[in-house]
Amino acid sequence: MGLKPGEVATGTTIMAVEFDGGVVLGADSRTSTGTYVANRVSDKLTALHHHIYCCRSGSAADTQALADYVRYFLASHAIDLGRTPAVYTAAKLMSTLIYRNKDNLLAGVIIGGWDPKDGGQVYTVTLGGTLQRQKFSIGGSGSTYIYGHVDEAFKENMTREECQNFVKKAISHAMARDGSSGGVIRMVTIDKTGVSREFIPGDKLPYGP
Amino acid sequence: MHGESGKQSLRGALKEDVPGFNFDNYARNASLPTETTMHLPSAMKTGTTIAGVTFKDGVVLGADTRATGGTEVADKNCEKIHYLAPNIYCCGAGTAADTEKTTEIISSQLDLLRLSTGSPSRVVTACTMLKRMLFRYQGHVSAALVLGGVDSSGAHLYQIYPHGSTDKNPYVTMGSGSLAAMSVFETGFKEDMTEAEAIELVKEAILAGIYNDLGSGSNVDLTIIRKNGEVTVLRGYLTPNDVEPLRTSYKRPAALSVPAGATAVLSTHMDPARPGLEGLVIEDATAMTF
Amino acid sequence: MSILEYNGGAVVAMVGKNCVAIASDLRYGVQAQTVACNFPKVHKMSDRLFVGLSGLATDIQTLEQLLRFRLNLYKLREERDIKPETFSALLSHILYEKRFGPYFVEPLVAGLRAEDNTPFISGMDLIGAPVFAKDFVVAGTCAANLYGLCESFFKPDLEPEQLFEVLSQSLLASVDRDALSGWGAVVHVITPDGVTSRTLKARQD
Repeated sequence: MGLKPGEVATGTTIMAVEFDGGVVLGADSRTSTGTYVANRVSDKLTALHHHIYCCRSGSAADTQALADYVRYFLASHAIDLGRTPAVYTAAKLMSTLIYRNKDNLLAGVIIGGWDPKDGGQVYTVTLGGTLQRQKFSIGGSGSTYIYGHVDEAFKENMTREECQNFVKKAISHAMARDGSSGGVIRMVTIDKTGVSREFIPGDKLPYGP
Repeated sequence: MHGESGKQSLRGALKEDVPGFNFDNYARNASLPTETTMHLPSAMKTGTTIAGVTFKDGVVLGADTRATGGTEVADKNCEKIHYLAPNIYCCGAGTAADTEKTTEIISSQLDLLRLSTGSPSRVVTACTMLKRMLFRYQGHVSAALVLGGVDSSGAHLYQIYPHGSTDKNPYVTMGSGSLAAMSVFETGFKEDMTEAEAIELVKEAILAGIYNDLGSGSNVDLTIIRKNGEVTVLRGYLTPNDVEPLRTSYKRPAALSVPAGATAVLSTHMDPARPGLEGLVIEDATAMTF
Repeated sequence: MSILEYNGGAVVAMVGKNCVAIASDLRYGVQAQTVACNFPKVHKMSDRLFVGLSGLATDIQTLEQLLRFRLNLYKLREERDIKPETFSALLSHILYEKRFGPYFVEPLVAGLRAEDNTPFISGMDLIGAPVFAKDFVVAGTCAANLYGLCESFFKPDLEPEQLFEVLSQSLLASVDRDALSGWGAVVHVITPDGVTSRTLKARQD
């Protein structure tokens, strides 16, 4: 299902990258209705659990509702389990919801998080509900501009700082070329030490040589 | 359920206890002659400029007062800042009936929730209830809202789109005049403003909508909700387009004063008042007399 | 052509000093063909409360009967007359319940409050969005004409006799420039003493 008339879209650049011991998620902050920027400081990195986040792209209403459901189910599941849930559980939950309702949804979601068993993980859920683990994933309208860059620049087992710089740079370049991406960069880094948030203002983007 | 049993009970006939929308007329309306349904009647819209800002001690909400039906001004002074709870108000743009009824429903649900929990409503609760209802109707309930209020965790301001997405920002605008109003906010907004500064900014934002957006017009309404729990509703804060002074001051031409007896009357019938019979007379439902 | 214009018709209500008036034309047509000239669109709901219904004739009749039914039940339950405000809210909810399959009707409500004889008027769109005006409300195929005439002729605090003249002339002038309404008119003036209903001499073309 496409975007309905007047619907708010996160015409977006989002990405998540695994590094040695954790994961970095990043997103721009533009939300648009057609050509109007409805929100220039939006937060597309949404917590699903203490140590599991998702990057949302597509319809703002659909992805917010999905994230609300996953967060709710995961909270209840964590109580049943008596421990924190695995990142895969969150990703599987998200993909099942999307797959079963794909006729009524427009949602492309990347799930990133850390758990004691498998460490930092990145999962992609496509529009149709396919679930795939990846070493890194990019999404949203802006991602098409940076496939070449990320394929070239990605390295396995980066350090935390290397990984954060990789995400910053990639999203900066997407924001520069994609009209539907812009604003500031929001980043979330998750590893065994916990969750930390970074904010890169629009005039401090590492764009250019 | 609607018409599920052949033998209808009075309660069933009343359909008083049936929640949600009623689609009885839907098939009938869909089968009307095509030439009459080509231009289906448009419901009343509030073209609208609505806006809100947070300031040091709370939030200020603002709205224009024009309602339109097509290009016609259907209401020159309608109320777009709706009460949700003693500490929460909500501006509405979009289809007038939808904004009116959606806020009414959520207000009553919040009321019941307060009675059962015994604690004041939270703004985030109102926001979640609104977004869930709007998401359920997939944008068909056309209400674009600016939700503002205070609770134990401070002052909060949300915008809610008809499809059910929400944003939380220090200053927000909605409606057809939102672009005009946002340009005022983007130039004039400061963090931790005083109440007077915030009122001035919202007033200017709504005026930008009133004068630059055709869908917005008439007066500026404001509502101030303070962190100490005080609320001030300023209905008609500014009335730059009031016709009342003009109407009273204007010397009408004689032709516009209708003289007594100008209208030719064919028949007159006087039904005198029946004091003491109020509520006791049940009219004949089959009376179709003229 | 919109389905609201299928049968034609005009309704208008106006407030005066301790009085209120509501009027409609009498035409019932099917598009351009006039079928009858005895179809009043204003209905008495109680001694001091009237409702005007313009739009699709079948829905006008259905809604009028539904309102009378609901009002009789209200009286049986409450043993009092309904307030104009309450009636207006009831009507609004009846219409909004059918948000996605509406009655093609634009109603007006006119009444005199029992407590202090102050006038009440309200208008609504077909899904029940209320308009609470201080001066006048209009509906029907010549709503635009009625707006123009009422904006020009209306004066605050008119006495019942003046109110009748102003409302009648506004309605007659409006329907004469609308092919789908006219062919007679009926005006009800509600005062604390009772209701005066008059049929007007109007053009028959």
